[in-house]
Amino acid sequence: MSTTQFTGLISALTRQRGVLGCLVVSERDGIIVDADVQAGVDAAAVAALAAALYRRARLCSEAAGLSRVGFLQLESERGHICAAGRDDLVAVVIAETGAPVAQLRTVILQSVDSLV
Amino acid sequence: MRARVSEQWVEAPLQNFADQSRVTFALLLQPSGQVLGQFGFTRAMDVMAACSLAAAINVTAAQLGRELEGAPFHELHHAGRERELFIAEAPTARGPLVLLAAFDGESSLGLVRLYFRELCASLAEAASAVDPVPSEAGRVDLGENLERDLNRSLAILFGRARPDSEGMLSVPPSIPPA
Repeated sequence: MSTTQFTGLISALTRQRGVLGCLVVSERDGIIVDADVQAGVDAAAVAALAAALYRRARLCSEAAGLSRVGFLQLESERGHICAAGRDDLVAVVIAETGAPVAQLRTVILQSVDSLV
Repeated sequence: MRARVSEQWVEAPLQNFADQSRVTFALLLQPSGQVLGQFGFTRAMDVMAACSLAAAINVTAAQLGRELEGAPFHELHHAGRERELFIAEAPTARGPLVLLAAFDGESSLGLVRLYFRELCASLAEAASAVDPVPSEAGRVDLGENLERDLNRSLAILFGRARPDSEGMLSVPPSIPPA
């Protein structure tokens, strides 16, 4: 398997308990830059929609005078979508309900510095 | 904003695509350049020009793909500074259709691709629900009828003529060109 500059970040996040996949996505294009997701997850759709969601959240935060978005968490019936970004790149994590979100948050925020 | 169509069966798929993907402009046309539906355009001349260019780009890209990779490229994306362009072919039982979509920062390539996938599925479903083999009126004739059919489509799209009871192109031959 080929490695990219995001392999370390993706490995660190997919190693966490309850994580179903991790994607590095271009916020502007909504296109996958690198990803590791379980079979059955429509990675392209998640990437496009999560990038759009993150972009809206960022614009909303800026419009409200709250500066940049640090961490975005979407809680769903059967899991979570977590995202954090830097410049044009967004790290998106898909996690099941039982995943330790607080721990995930810490790892994502630590990892996001390597998104350059 | 509502999508305007010259064939009824493409209306719901095109409207849904435009609503969901938040594109600025969308055109659905036959590979010959005959328009079937549009979203976001206000002038027939713009539609006519965009259709001609989209058809030419589509056929050029397909041939370029064949030359380079032995198969036609199935989509084309141009990222401009503020606006982007997406052109791709959607196969249906009534023959392939070409989508041209222009979008800005309200959308993204990922979203357009995602909803183009849905558009392909809903067009395929809609096409199979209507007459699977296009009738003579709807068939693209690259001979003497092409210009007349192009003008008919534009006339219907901009309210200067109405489709017949089957939603196919059928207007008097006296419709003035756009």
